[in-house]
Amino acid sequence: MPTERAGYTVTMFLIDVSSSMGNIRAVEVENADKSSRTIEMTNLEWSLQYVKLKIQEMIFNGRKTDQCGVIIFGSEGIRSLQHLLCLVLKPEADTNNRLNTTNDGYESVVEYIPIAQPNARTLAKIDALQASNTSGDPIDALIVGIDSQTRYLGNKKWTRKIVIVTDGESPIEVEDWEATVEKMDELGVTLTVVGVDFDDNELPYTEPNKSNIKSVNENFYKELTSAMQSGVVGTCAYAIREATAPEVKIVKSTLVGTQLRIGDIDARSDEAIELPVKMSKCTALARPKTWKKFTLMQKTKTGENQMEVDEPEANFDPDKPAVYSQVKMKTEYVVEPEEDEDEDKETVKSEDIDGDVKMKQENDDDTVNLLDGKPAATQLPSKESATYIDKEDLIRGFKYGSTYAPCPDGQFPKLQTHKGIDVISFFPAKTFRRELAMGELSYVWADPNRPVEQVALSSIVQAMHERRLMAIGRLVTRDDMDPKMGVLAPIMFDGVDCLLWIPAPFADDVRKYTFASLDKLVNKKGEILTKHPYLPTQEQLEAMDKFVDAMDLMDAGEKTEYGDRYPWFDTRESYNPAIHRVKQAMFHCAVVKDIVEYPVPPPHPETIKYFDPPKRVLKRARDAVEEFPKKVAKAKREDYARVAEDEDDEMLLLDRKQPASSRTQSQMNIVQGESSSSAHAKVGAAKAKEGSETEDDDDEEEMLLDKKKTPPAAPASSSRDPLPTPARSLSPQIDAGRAPGRIIGNTYPLKDFKKNIARGDLVTKAVEDLAAVITEVVMKPFATRRTDEMLECMSFLRGTCLVEDEIDAWNAFIRDLKEKCLTKPGNPHFWEKIQGVGRELSLINKQEAKKQGGDSDVTENEAVEFIS
Amino acid sequence: MAPYDDWNALEEEEEELQDASMFDTKRDVILFCIDCSESMLEPYDDPKYEDVKTCHLFTALEAAMQIQKKKIIVGPNDSVGIMLFNTTRRSETNRSEGSEIKKNTFLFQPISPLSAPKIQELIQLLDAAREDLDELRKTFPPLITGRVPMGDVFTSCNWIIRDGAPKTASKRVFLITDEDDPHSNVGSKQLTISARTTLIDLTQAGVTVEPFFISAGEKGFNASKFYSSILLPTDLEDEEELQKDASILPESISISRIEDLLSQMRFHEVPKRAQFSVPFQLADGFTIGIKGYGLVTEQKKGTYKYFADVDNELKVATSRTIYAEEGNQKEVDKTKIVYGPDLGMGASKPEVGAADDDEDNDEEITGGFGARVVKAGQRPFFTAEDIRSFRTLGLEPGIKLLGFKDRAELQLEDNVKHSQFIYPDEMSYSGSKRTFSALLKSMIEKGKIGIALCLTRRNASPVFCALLPQEEKGEASDWDDPAGFHLIQLPFADDIRAAAIEESMRTSKEMKTAALAWIDKLTMKKGTYEPDSFPNPALAYHNEQLQASAFREEYDPDSFEDLTEPKVDAMHKRAGKLMKDWKIALTEDPSINVVVPATGQKRKATNQDVALGEAEIRSMCDNGTLAKLRVDQLKDFLKSKGESVSGKKADLVDRASDWFGSH
Repeated sequence: MPTERAGYTVTMFLIDVSSSMGNIRAVEVENADKSSRTIEMTNLEWSLQYVKLKIQEMIFNGRKTDQCGVIIFGSEGIRSLQHLLCLVLKPEADTNNRLNTTNDGYESVVEYIPIAQPNARTLAKIDALQASNTSGDPIDALIVGIDSQTRYLGNKKWTRKIVIVTDGESPIEVEDWEATVEKMDELGVTLTVVGVDFDDNELPYTEPNKSNIKSVNENFYKELTSAMQSGVVGTCAYAIREATAPEVKIVKSTLVGTQLRIGDIDARSDEAIELPVKMSKCTALARPKTWKKFTLMQKTKTGENQMEVDEPEANFDPDKPAVYSQVKMKTEYVVEPEEDEDEDKETVKSEDIDGDVKMKQENDDDTVNLLDGKPAATQLPSKESATYIDKEDLIRGFKYGSTYAPCPDGQFPKLQTHKGIDVISFFPAKTFRRELAMGELSYVWADPNRPVEQVALSSIVQAMHERRLMAIGRLVTRDDMDPKMGVLAPIMFDGVDCLLWIPAPFADDVRKYTFASLDKLVNKKGEILTKHPYLPTQEQLEAMDKFVDAMDLMDAGEKTEYGDRYPWFDTRESYNPAIHRVKQAMFHCAVVKDIVEYPVPPPHPETIKYFDPPKRVLKRARDAVEEFPKKVAKAKREDYARVAEDEDDEMLLLDRKQPASSRTQSQMNIVQGESSSSAHAKVGAAKAKEGSETEDDDDEEEMLLDKKKTPPAAPASSSRDPLPTPARSLSPQIDAGRAPGRIIGNTYPLKDFKKNIARGDLVTKAVEDLAAVITEVVMKPFATRRTDEMLECMSFLRGTCLVEDEIDAWNAFIRDLKEKCLTKPGNPHFWEKIQGVGRELSLINKQEAKKQGGDSDVTENEAVEFIS
Repeated sequence: MAPYDDWNALEEEEEELQDASMFDTKRDVILFCIDCSESMLEPYDDPKYEDVKTCHLFTALEAAMQIQKKKIIVGPNDSVGIMLFNTTRRSETNRSEGSEIKKNTFLFQPISPLSAPKIQELIQLLDAAREDLDELRKTFPPLITGRVPMGDVFTSCNWIIRDGAPKTASKRVFLITDEDDPHSNVGSKQLTISARTTLIDLTQAGVTVEPFFISAGEKGFNASKFYSSILLPTDLEDEEELQKDASILPESISISRIEDLLSQMRFHEVPKRAQFSVPFQLADGFTIGIKGYGLVTEQKKGTYKYFADVDNELKVATSRTIYAEEGNQKEVDKTKIVYGPDLGMGASKPEVGAADDDEDNDEEITGGFGARVVKAGQRPFFTAEDIRSFRTLGLEPGIKLLGFKDRAELQLEDNVKHSQFIYPDEMSYSGSKRTFSALLKSMIEKGKIGIALCLTRRNASPVFCALLPQEEKGEASDWDDPAGFHLIQLPFADDIRAAAIEESMRTSKEMKTAALAWIDKLTMKKGTYEPDSFPNPALAYHNEQLQASAFREEYDPDSFEDLTEPKVDAMHKRAGKLMKDWKIALTEDPSINVVVPATGQKRKATNQDVALGEAEIRSMCDNGTLAKLRVDQLKDFLKSKGESVSGKKADLVDRASDWFGSH
């Protein structure tokens, strides 16, 4: 396959609209509040999401050479209708359908959208597709697709792609397909088959009760694609997911020519050095694509003729469509009136009226209003007395305090400068203050076509490298442009030497704010303090050292081939979440009709993979984190006792109201928790200072919390903050039957455990405690009454251990339990029950562990044997 | 915690770009409060100019003038006033309409917005005093007997600020004095108490006092004699600490050399404003408060404004943005705007006949103007709130620590933006300072940097930052390195560009040695990049012209000196010879004979005839026969000089001869 150019592609979408595509399926969607619900749609609607995402990508990139066409198969009545439509639309479109009108073999195939650069209209047309009452053969469609594509492209060397979207439930005539494959290979076509509920080992997915014809067809597609030079089959769910995966848009930096100068090339050119060089960007901030603004079109009354479909503006009927139009921005210039008494009255009046109107609008301004199509209330210019001025009549100028300095050109004569980089001097690289680097960086290369200059620059770079030097430079990008300062650092790549231009600040750019010393506190008598609530104690310093060690990322990444680990976090894999989330949202709203009903799915995991520290590190740091807040707050404990109490109340309140949310969503929720916790802590801290908390305050806060309705997943743990609360990390209920030092009670062990896990802290401790509780309960008399409960506990515990990398803890626990059950006094009955459950409660083996990223030394055989 | 609230109240509509500029909208008011006693007027030899006398008061006033000049450009809406104390001059009747101020204090310039005439007034006074130092004594006769109670000074300040300063501004008094014990005589206790009370009044009015103590001469300045017992911590935000924690001495600036006054004031010229104040989460359930400051921010030229001639008077015109429906130009309420992606090429053009109408006409695109049509009650676009949540990913502002890495992991290449600086904020979370301090120390000791997920403002997007610890250095009163973390934004994968060139010729040992020779000569062995050495020439050039224009003076461009230009004389003196040697070595380098194979198909082999030398082309230029060259020859030449190669042949010829003209 030739290397792919961006654009220069024609993609044919062959869409199966056979009757089976009309089957209803349940699709899970996530709501804005992170809960999920199931909605029903046809297989066709579902699979079209993939097509629309792909087409939206073309619209998003906006390349003229990125085009597509849509062909449907398995259609019946549409054909004639479409045919008619084509005649009306574009008479020449008729010839496009030559193949299927002339050849009766292809009657179920319709060229639905001719090849062109897609836009929103294309998506709307695709939305109009419905399943038919008949069925069609994808191979027919494939032949028509290849034919249209070839006819459209002629001899052009564009990339040719064909995508078949089908459920594989219709019969395929599997003769002569080899000829088609040959043809496609000859033309360099890439074929993608996207199948509804096709089996996929990677996802993994296997369709239960697959029809016979479908499995035959699936196998056929596999055979077909593997016979091709580039063909692939995939299941629709995977295709939709991957269509939203972040993808870095690769930008090739252009080389911009300039000069590197050392010395005075005008007067002393015999000595001065001037090297022609090229600059190219090393980093450049990428930003999310901007949104376009739209509004619901205001409708005008036109009497009774709304029955006429052709007049879209004529409908007032709620059943009639809502039309959104794009909003354009324009700028007006006004001179506000002086605060003059006479004028003022009027101004105030009109403002008042306007203010009122606005208030009303705002009051009922919710999404419903946004949709109701009511014309927005009269829009007065907010100040009638203001004078509107034409832009042509304005004079440009600057403010010099309250003095005006007119300057019709918009700028004063500029400093005369000469394009190039002037080297000012060299200095030891280690003295450069990293924080002075100001912005986007550029490489400075020698001209790729000039070997002498390459050697020249290389000699400078290597000399600088040898002496560990940087150079101070002054850059002018074009003649008479404002100069910029920067430093040049030598860089030696494998095959080339170059300099790195790092912008550095001018004197004017540096702010020298003063900050109080963190170490030296002087009292009124001029003595230096060694103990103060602002100064960390030795104990705290030690705790912090432990924390820093535990949170080290240098060995927290992927494993290397030698068995040790890479550091965690790599800029080259850190996607800008805003860019990719905005893109996802844009794609989403282009493919759905109502974002209230179909909210945007959660971000692709790849976009937010660096949002939380790696599990490995979190686990390692658990002890240090638990210990640290106590130590830090010790000295302040008395002062803040009241705060702690207040927070206890809040926590109770939250606990009661918010059921612990599930573990899988903690990623996003933690942050919400953080915000509410900060609010609490602030309120709390402020109160402590006033020293006058009253019941009212608490009530108010309660109301506040009610109103806010933010569901923090970890309110209890994060509101702990720097306060000493070992007891409070437990649930405040005392009757939970908890043994001293345990966080899991004997009364409701599973409930306690789930709560702790949901909170996400103290996992190791929770696992340990639950294991102990289970063993205790099982060993007690009358344990049979709680057998089912204990089995449930164990099943949940095992699941948790797998996910939380507590595999060793589980294996130790279950071995210990087995031993205890089978030795006297024991509880052999309980062990039989466990055996009844079987493999699900046995040791965790290597394979299982690996799936979750953990490790175990137990083999599958051992695990099976252990339980039998 | 005013800055925090401000930042919360920000409008969220505009996109990320507005950056720090919004913090500059808050006005700043400075009242210079200068001691005018005998000792301040005591003449001594000017250290800079021979045979010229100067005095502390002169220096103080000159500093005030310089600050005014600087401020008028940085913050044209700021206000400044000058009050003198220990002078017998009385305010002329109702010069300001406000209240009469205390005896022996004199309001020289009431607080008012900065303007050219105001600065010129001060310059005239200073010029007169430069001629004859006694001019100052005449203008502000000193109080001969005793001193004015400091309590009265603070009361006057309070009244002046109350009358002149806008309510919302940040208000500061720059107190300049050389007397460390103004009330050494009887009744001093009473006077001290009244000074303290009036100072508290002043602070409660939202005014910060920033003292500049001149300790020049043998006398010295001992702050503990009087001032340490009355001064309050300078940070407004620490106000509440006052009652609780009176054990710490506030910061004050003690200047041992009067010449340092201006540079010390420069540090305080811009009020210290935090750009953000957010929680810093070290671990789940373990959060402290921090504030972020922009220590390195590009200072740009002021943007021009539009003025309109209304009734023969120049007035500022403000711009408003109006949203209107495409097509019918109806104005749209901002709250009714929804957001969606670009609909793609051609989607906004009306389709002829709108013939898509079939049974499913509720799904068509009609309306003509970029419209999208859905069923009534459906909305295919997002609200402003949705948009914001996509940008922030639903995160709340804060910094979340992800872990630590070795210092060496932070590469020079990992840079896209200027850094920010964070410092603990005890007011939002108690225990912040000591926790922060412990973290800083531990990281410095272990040679670590932090990696953190940062969302510093409500309408920004989350970014990953490196936390680079900075150790505390220097004396408390001097500006040196404060303790804290530099927040360095790391590039995303999306921001990183691949190296544009992968292979090229490399140096020989000989060439490198030749380069080392002159590089060594041009190296400042103990130097570094020192921003203070490089004032922005373009900005200064602009500001000087602006000032001249406002003062209605002619500007002489020749008087401008660009300090960023390389010191070529010194360079040639030190290394000129060695640079020449290097150039000669280069001509002998084997690479001179290497021809890079032409990669583009366009170039034909025959074109490689003779690459014309610069000297040859120069002689053609001198003879006026440049036009004889082929276009590709001209282009090759221009390209080698980094000039543009666009345009017709005539343009190229012109450009080439221009180049010879200037070289």
